[in-house]
Amino acid sequence: MAVSPLGSKLFLATLLATTLTFAGVASAQSYSSSDAVSEISIAALPDAPSALLAQQQTPPKPQDQKQPAAQNPNQPSLSDLGLSNAPDPALQARLDKHTQMLKIHQRLGLITLIPMAAAVISSAGASAHHNGDQVTGGNTTSRDVHAALGGVTVAMYGATAYYAIAAPRIPESHVKGGIKVHKYLIYVHLPGMVLTPILGAMAFNQLNNGEKVHGIASAHAAVAWTTVASYTAAIVAVSWPIKL
Amino acid sequence: MKITCLVVLFALSPFALGQTSETWVLTQSTLSYHMVHPVHTVDGVSHGARGKGICNAGTCEFLVAAPVKSFDSGDTNRDEHMIQVTRGAEFPIVSVRFRLPESAINSPTLDCDLEVQFAGNTAHYSHIPFQQTVQGNTHRITGTVPATLTDFKIPPPSFLTVPIKNEIPVKVDTTWQRQ
Repeated sequence: MAVSPLGSKLFLATLLATTLTFAGVASAQSYSSSDAVSEISIAALPDAPSALLAQQQTPPKPQDQKQPAAQNPNQPSLSDLGLSNAPDPALQARLDKHTQMLKIHQRLGLITLIPMAAAVISSAGASAHHNGDQVTGGNTTSRDVHAALGGVTVAMYGATAYYAIAAPRIPESHVKGGIKVHKYLIYVHLPGMVLTPILGAMAFNQLNNGEKVHGIASAHAAVAWTTVASYTAAIVAVSWPIKL
Repeated sequence: MKITCLVVLFALSPFALGQTSETWVLTQSTLSYHMVHPVHTVDGVSHGARGKGICNAGTCEFLVAAPVKSFDSGDTNRDEHMIQVTRGAEFPIVSVRFRLPESAINSPTLDCDLEVQFAGNTAHYSHIPFQQTVQGNTHRITGTVPATLTDFKIPPPSFLTVPIKNEIPVKVDTTWQRQ
């Protein structure tokens, strides 16, 4: 039985392919065995803390994460999954700035509660004594203290708001969760924080002129309480649900 | 006779013998990290993981990966903070590699050595038990990876100036199909 020239070529090609496959496996085996040798030699070294740490946890280079399975064709790769590990340093920088500014916003917001609470407490001594239509002055020092605390509260509130407004926006973010309520409440406490000192100043002048607080100025306390309540609710909203 | 020899040689060659690889594909997944803060607890869930397994020469190599931004804790601000603190823009993928002997592929309990790449760091978890239920061609694998922030050198995020706990166990619920 004669073998045709085409058959011989096919056989030779098969043998060549088989040899190459063996060579590939052999080189892979030699790679892993040399790897094992290097592991053993590292293990034989004295225990350096840095080496131990490196064994436990090896921070990979970004390039390693991009193509983690380049050496072994049997290992699935990220590209097999249709995923890309391409870094976006600009977005990371934006996120860092965003977080940094919102942390300051958070701290200032909490600190603002202190003068706000003090202003609420001091408001008890700020009102005048009424005797019919006559106003007998009341404690003007307490009124001054209340006005000053109100001023500090408004200034702190402005600084807090600045850090939220100036923080860079992150793309692709559809707002949801407690932060949504936190943002809606701005529409209550922001006008309140503008109106309260204006109405307070009007009431302050009326009292100092010996007049009974009248007109729109008489809404000062109600507006202030609404502002305090909505501001507190805005803090609770981002902390919810609270489990103690 | 020569032809018979050739056929036998060809049939016995490793080229024809082995190298038959089997592929597994992740069809459904739920990964959720659990975070504990003194005033509240949070679960961030991702259904965006993809996975593939290749079995060859008695060993199966698996890879599961999910975009970091696919984890949803129900609060946009918290998720953005999570991406920032885990450097999710620089390292946008969290990936898990593990290897199983092909003989253990139908076992009800899988003992896995995991290599997790996250936040630019790699952590190894040895002998993590996973439970498996097999229904026909579908394998459902569940378990928990005992991850911590320090494993990946992540500075603990804080809320109201109080940091979260170091432990962030990740629950894994995956469904695989042999292709």
